[in-house]
Amino acid sequence: MNGSGVPLAAFVTAMLAAGLVAAVPLVLAALGEAVGEKSGLLNLGIEGMMLAGAFFGFLAAFQTGSAVLGVLGGIAAGAVLGLVFAALTVSLRVDQVLVGLAITIFGGGLTAFLYRDIFGGQNPSLNVDAPRIAIPLLSRIPVAGPAMFNQGVLFYLAFALVPAFAFVLARTRFGLQVRAVGEYPFAADAAGVDVTRTRYLAALIAGSMAGLAGAFLAVADLKIFQVGMTVGMGFIALALTMVGGWNPYRILLASVLFGLLRSLGNGLQILGIDVRTEFITMLPYIGIMIALAILAGRTSIPAALGIPYARGRR
Amino acid sequence: MTRGALVPSRFAPVLTSLAAIVAAMILGGVFLAMRGKDPLAAYGMLFSRGLGTSYGITETLIRMAPLLIVSAGLLISLRAGVWNIGIDGQLMVGALFAGVVASAVAGQIANPLMWLAAALAGMGGGLLWALVPAILRVRWGLNEIITTLMMNYVALNVTSWLVKGPVKDPNVVPPQTRLIPQEMRLPDIAGSGVHIGLLVGLVVVLLVSVLFRNTVVGFMLDILGRNRQAAIHAGMPVNRLTLVALLASGALAGLAGANDILGVKGLFQGNWNPGYGFAAFALVYLARLHSLWIIPFAYFLSFLAIGGEMMARPLGIPTYFVEMLEGLMLLCFAVATYFERIRSPFGRAEEIETGPATAGEPPGPLVGDPVFEPVARSAGGRP
Amino acid sequence: MANPHPPAPLSRRAGRGGNEEPIDRGPIIAMRDISKRFGPALANDHISLDLWPGEVHAVLGENGAGKTTLMNVLAGMYQPDAGTIRIAGEEVQIASPADALRRGIGTVYQHFTLVPNLSIVENVVLGDEGGFLPDLSAADAKLTAMLADFGLDVSPRTEIRNLALGQRQRVEIIKVLLRGSRVLVLDEPTSVLTPGEVTALLDLLRHLRDQGVAVVLITHKLGEALAVSDRVTILRNGRNVGEFGPDVMTGAAKESVRDRIVEQMFGATQPTETRHHGAQQSIDVSPGVAIKHPGHSEPAGEESRHSRTDAAFSRDSSFLGMTTSLRRSPSRAESGTTLLSLRGISTLGDRGAPALQDLSLDLHRGEVFGIAGVDGNGQKELGEVIAGQRAVSSGQIFLDGAEITNRGLGTATRLGIGYVTDDRLHEGSVAASSVTDNVALKAIGRQPFSNGFWLNRRAMDEEARRLIVEFGVKTPGPETAIGMLSGGNIQKLLLARELALAPKLLVCNKPTTGLDLRTARFVVQTLREQADAGKVVVLISSELDELMEISDRIGVMYNGQLVAVMPRGETDLETLGNLMLGGARRAFKVPA
Repeated sequence: MNGSGVPLAAFVTAMLAAGLVAAVPLVLAALGEAVGEKSGLLNLGIEGMMLAGAFFGFLAAFQTGSAVLGVLGGIAAGAVLGLVFAALTVSLRVDQVLVGLAITIFGGGLTAFLYRDIFGGQNPSLNVDAPRIAIPLLSRIPVAGPAMFNQGVLFYLAFALVPAFAFVLARTRFGLQVRAVGEYPFAADAAGVDVTRTRYLAALIAGSMAGLAGAFLAVADLKIFQVGMTVGMGFIALALTMVGGWNPYRILLASVLFGLLRSLGNGLQILGIDVRTEFITMLPYIGIMIALAILAGRTSIPAALGIPYARGRR
Repeated sequence: MTRGALVPSRFAPVLTSLAAIVAAMILGGVFLAMRGKDPLAAYGMLFSRGLGTSYGITETLIRMAPLLIVSAGLLISLRAGVWNIGIDGQLMVGALFAGVVASAVAGQIANPLMWLAAALAGMGGGLLWALVPAILRVRWGLNEIITTLMMNYVALNVTSWLVKGPVKDPNVVPPQTRLIPQEMRLPDIAGSGVHIGLLVGLVVVLLVSVLFRNTVVGFMLDILGRNRQAAIHAGMPVNRLTLVALLASGALAGLAGANDILGVKGLFQGNWNPGYGFAAFALVYLARLHSLWIIPFAYFLSFLAIGGEMMARPLGIPTYFVEMLEGLMLLCFAVATYFERIRSPFGRAEEIETGPATAGEPPGPLVGDPVFEPVARSAGGRP
Repeated sequence: MANPHPPAPLSRRAGRGGNEEPIDRGPIIAMRDISKRFGPALANDHISLDLWPGEVHAVLGENGAGKTTLMNVLAGMYQPDAGTIRIAGEEVQIASPADALRRGIGTVYQHFTLVPNLSIVENVVLGDEGGFLPDLSAADAKLTAMLADFGLDVSPRTEIRNLALGQRQRVEIIKVLLRGSRVLVLDEPTSVLTPGEVTALLDLLRHLRDQGVAVVLITHKLGEALAVSDRVTILRNGRNVGEFGPDVMTGAAKESVRDRIVEQMFGATQPTETRHHGAQQSIDVSPGVAIKHPGHSEPAGEESRHSRTDAAFSRDSSFLGMTTSLRRSPSRAESGTTLLSLRGISTLGDRGAPALQDLSLDLHRGEVFGIAGVDGNGQKELGEVIAGQRAVSSGQIFLDGAEITNRGLGTATRLGIGYVTDDRLHEGSVAASSVTDNVALKAIGRQPFSNGFWLNRRAMDEEARRLIVEFGVKTPGPETAIGMLSGGNIQKLLLARELALAPKLLVCNKPTTGLDLRTARFVVQTLREQADAGKVVVLISSELDELMEISDRIGVMYNGQLVAVMPRGETDLETLGNLMLGGARRAFKVPA
């Protein structure tokens, strides 16, 4: 019951921490997706790319015993699928939704098959170091401190990448080219921007980030792999990208809100408050739809999203 | 543009699908070989057990029924240019509704009436679940890709809650609805072990075929999917058609759920999610959005799934191989449509028409590809 | 990639100093025998063209003459099938738009190539080959001065979407100049401008010319070409059919130059004085019957080309029986009873901006009502309002005295209003659907195509076959996808589709754009016949000749309003042109 001996501060800390950790893969994947969509690529393969990142990250870490190599393996797997996506949608100009779904189905099947084939019926967990780094002073802040400043490297990285992505999109030449290519590829082409190259790079980033998000789940956070372990997180990241209006900071905000709502469900259960967890777990999804409905018309979607480009043709 | 290349016409388009399937199976075979398995033995067993044993054939045909129904529904929405990615959620809600209604009336009314009631309940459930994205799409212009996806997760939670609480069978521990006794479920087709759901599936596909071939609504849905602006120009009720497409596809997903409850499972269990959605996507694309072609491809994919299960144990090949193969088929299919497009006279015609006329005159940046327009114009925002 | 010809900064270029001192001895660009084919259509047929520094060079021609294709070849958008391009004497392959820019060729497209959600400075640095971090501040400084020079009082950080069209065009020019362009190509630059902006643009072009830039003005507007150019090249049917150098262009007799250019463009002198007499005077619709001015020297080869086309066209005109039906008294229309009335109509365009403002109009049975106007002044929206495809925000529409305001397209179609859109490929037809389905598209819910639920495929097929024969549509069969047909055949089908519904009123938006002459004549003649049969035809067109030819009355749209409605006999091309550009009617001579 309520007075079950769990101090409120510790409880809040734990919930906050769980919520933030839950937000990490979403932030990572959504940042990559934002770059992809800004360049005009709607990547429904993000779910499959995350799974690939999770599995190959897990596999690499399991084989080498190195968390770093694991994470790199996850990124590489996502990147490869990102390139496949780009090849089919940019070069061959096949419908993006079709290709994305194909990659998601393929990624799910491939990782499940390999996991069962390699590990048989066992479900090993990783024995790698993913140390928590307590940031001096900050981690001592009551309640929020331990939640926010006593975490693993990837946790900090995810949050550090938010301003980095914002900077890249807003200020760098590459960001400029991405925005131009996603809005009006003909203009970018006429100005001398290589539309194909830019979109390939954007797809590569989207794939790598999805792979990194998956690797975070399997290697850093849970240290296990499960068949279909992303349970739709990729699609949620896709939705959060739109809720966040392709702005890294707003994506962060949306992801953290989403993560906190989810951990709230678990938290209330721990506290023994009798709320059906299902209602709380589905809140974020309903929240996304409400947010999209409210934001409808206020955010400007990249005009060329989903539309292949060929020079001299519409 | 892809949609233009996917337009059904006679037999040729299906050759593209067959080529894609062959390519995917070769790639899958290479993959098996790399994992140290004998691909020939694997495919040999897949075919001999799946096609050569009565068990395999029976299971395949049973499996086919829901796939036929789901795919027929998905076909309606895809032909109308509406992306219904919420099949799984619609199917779950439909299955739950059917399970509840069927167990409530079972034994009190004649079986056929009970089946009918359950089928209607299932369709109602699926329709209800598609209604939310449909209204969001038509009223606020919200992209249905995201909303139907989100509704899947809401469905997962809602059905899970319902089956744990309000509609739970109080006499058992696990979260599930009351069991419909075996003798009250759908009977087998005479002389086979296949329940009559298969016939329902075939009839549904035929009806959808008639819908597109012979009715005004089907004609209009087709036009909407091919060129939304032309549909507006021709004075068609575009919003109502979009609504119809999503709702029909949701209702059929619900019917497929009811079919599995009445024919196979007898009850709805918490967390039951057969995941037909993705398979249906692969199927409808391989069938080139052509209704009747759904039948052989549904048989093929069902056979793959059943054969995959049957070869798993003796050869040590995890059943997930089939799922991977489906993904590969769809990827190969994507590549194949590219070659089809550049080889077809239609692709060239397109080049001719749009080449000189619009050279250096691209559409304004706010003009979307008509095929993709629902997504391009309304994802996260109103046009 | 190394720049083979580092462009000199503008300031160091020699002043023009009259006409006598070109900067280089040879042309800066020499295009030779450029050919470019799109399927069966030969868009460019061995075109040769020289561009000289310090000159404004107008490339004139009708729609579809090959102007835009030629410039896209120069801009690196297309690779020519044959022919060579030399820049300052050196033969080059222009691989891409980026390559063209590097070589000093800057193109300002008709549809601007500015990304609307980026700022001015971001657009300017977009294609630069620079480091990871573009130096926006440095670019700002350069731009601020340039913007001021070009009369733009905006910050470089302004987003493009907040600029007016004329401003965007200037930014576009600044953008290519800052990239070091010595050749500036402008494709139909005035089509989106207000009259004031046009004057300013022409001044700007003169200024750039004086700084040594080779300016190419692609246009089909003779007036502006005459006003500003030192050299004129005329394209027709994909061929270079004539060129006038500075000696002629800057000479005294502009009027005679005008006539000679018109002759080159259309293959016939169409003396404006003939047209002034309206319907009394026989307007020879067959351009093949050239009235040659004996005094004019024609470039070599012209003679034979003319005679070839002459023969072709005379066959056409007899085939179509043109010569009689188009000449009729314009007075009949006025006597016709009113069919449709617009009262105080206002509406919004696709982007939410006002497109029509308080517009009123009566249409009478038996008339062709022509609507002229520069694109984007509300003509399309007016057509859509009449057809019921666009809702009005205020005002009323009456058909035969009964109000039909905002009753929708379906109702309008049932009541007998037909509409042939200008976008025949993306709106009028469903490319992937069969000819039959496209023919049945608009009346699918009615007899004979259906009983409201079940389709009658046989009736659809029969109707398609009937129309194919009746309108002479070239198609392998009614089951062929309409996208496989040529633009002209699609247009015939769309027209046939509307006429088969026996409308009382037919709105046609640019029905002849991009069509070959024979089909264009056919379409125009059909429309005239419809009006003669007592129907109302609303003809929206950018081809003033076409409007002058068959309209009983002509209305001019400017800024969402009908600024003038004149009987055909009381106006002329110049008057129309000036009204279209927002000029006042009285400022120009109206023939008595």
